[in-house]
Amino acid sequence: MRSVLCFGDSNTHGQIPGRGPLERYDRHTRWPGVLQSELGPSWYVIEEGLSGRTTVHDDPIEGAHKNGRSYLRPCAQSHTVLDLVIIMLGTNDLKIRFNKPASEVAMGIGCLIYDLRELAPGPGGSVPEIMIVAPPPILDDVKEWKSIFAGAPEKSRQLALEFEIMADSLGVHFFNAGSVCSCDEADGFHLNAEAHRALGAALAQEIEAIGWPTQQRKS
Amino acid sequence: MRFAPPNPLRIADRASGLNAPTVRSYNERLVLSLLLQSSGISRLEIGEKTGLSAQTVSVIVRSLEQEALVSKGEAQRGRVGPPTIPLSLNPEGAFSVGVSFGEDAANVALIDFVGRVRYHAAHLYSSLQESPAAIAAKIEEGLLTLPPASRTRVAGVGLAVPDDGNVSGRIRKLLGRDLADAQANIERKLGLSVYIQNEITAAAGGESLFGMARSLSDFLFFYLGSRLHSRLILNYQIHSGRSDLSHDVGLLALHQGLKKRGLALSDIGSEIPAAADELYTQWQQACSQQILESVRSLLSFVNFKSVVLSSYAPPVLARDLCERLRKELPDVQFLLGANTTAPKAIGAASLPYHSRFMVQ
Repeated sequence: MRSVLCFGDSNTHGQIPGRGPLERYDRHTRWPGVLQSELGPSWYVIEEGLSGRTTVHDDPIEGAHKNGRSYLRPCAQSHTVLDLVIIMLGTNDLKIRFNKPASEVAMGIGCLIYDLRELAPGPGGSVPEIMIVAPPPILDDVKEWKSIFAGAPEKSRQLALEFEIMADSLGVHFFNAGSVCSCDEADGFHLNAEAHRALGAALAQEIEAIGWPTQQRKS
Repeated sequence: MRFAPPNPLRIADRASGLNAPTVRSYNERLVLSLLLQSSGISRLEIGEKTGLSAQTVSVIVRSLEQEALVSKGEAQRGRVGPPTIPLSLNPEGAFSVGVSFGEDAANVALIDFVGRVRYHAAHLYSSLQESPAAIAAKIEEGLLTLPPASRTRVAGVGLAVPDDGNVSGRIRKLLGRDLADAQANIERKLGLSVYIQNEITAAAGGESLFGMARSLSDFLFFYLGSRLHSRLILNYQIHSGRSDLSHDVGLLALHQGLKKRGLALSDIGSEIPAAADELYTQWQQACSQQILESVRSLLSFVNFKSVVLSSYAPPVLARDLCERLRKELPDVQFLLGANTTAPKAIGAASLPYHSRFMVQ
């Protein structure tokens, strides 16, 4: 069986658009769940979504534990052996408190790739396949999040290109989630059930396209 | 510090389209060459055949997809193992024009990225002004048959030119004394790169890239035009040998014989006219003898299993000849070339692809 770690923020956690952080879609509705049913029993899909998670920043308001970088290593290690790591982060980095352009967010993703390569949690201590997913752009109307996400919608539209440049440069897989789904109007930056469905199905295709040699069955 | 901003090289290429003098990485060329040989292979197979990692293949394929050089097929399910997604060259991804120079006419052929002929015209020398500008104008006529959006995807122009000794006065007048001048002239007129190669070598290259020989690494190539020419291909390399050597058993010999009987080559439709029967048998005998002699003598030095016979001759004629050769030498595989309309022009049109997209 192959393992894939889905490392993300509230949109991997399955937070329902327009609701609080405790309200979450069920396992089958969230994209990692969709991914699991699309890929079938030969894959083990590990969900690792945390609301407010950033790429590499300790959040001065929500807490240091929102830093994706400090949690990725123990997380990846506790789930070894990993064949594939999918990273879908970046939206929270666009909060005005971090004051980062899209290119710096991509560099944060780059750090996570470096860390994964160093840790090498893949089969036989190898580097697993890594796929970075650019989150869909934030809508212009983010309701009561307006001050927190000031300037973010515009920057979010540049994420896909910046992430792809990073993916090409570091030689990892890339997928633009914005090509198959968009954020829900209820709050402007969360995915609804339909978007989770589309994203999970598309990522399953992307994973299959990587091409996986048939595994030897261990007795 | 280990972390610097990434180099946006590949992305920058995309915005500039096909016309920028892109330097493609060896690995990209490797993937494109592989897709040309076997369309519908998966990323996994590309990785297995090239030794590239899955992630490297992914980066290359993604970039080629965005440039519309490669397209994805439907996932193949229902077999043992995971579903695979076949990749193929996108026929609309690139176009190329080739020009060849025959006895009486210049042939212009426009091909797509998988070698299909999209446009072909033969222009009698008598209808052309004697300058490279006339050639450029005819090439442009061909390019204008493409939809406007595709015209930015033209990889270049190839000229299949006979060796100096064989250049007839008319071709010389058309291209001028100096080929480099003609090349520069056409490049300036069209704003496209122009590549020049010996015409028979070009025909062999076209057959090797797109035609019957695409999976053959070693074969002997015959071009049956006005005269009979040959090239040896070993490990995908075309060897010219004495490239000006040709034999007087080609279509011109047949044509002259027919003419004496008041017939023309074009009178040969699906069968040979009764009046030409004897002449035809004689010609066929002479031609196949010459081919067999070359094949036999070469077989004592080099081990090859296939012979490709390329010709624009009426299909029945080339088929008969191949049939005869097969009977004489059953151990050798005689194949008819796939490029039957203007094989030299199609070969010329493959030159820009060779230099821009393929592993040499």
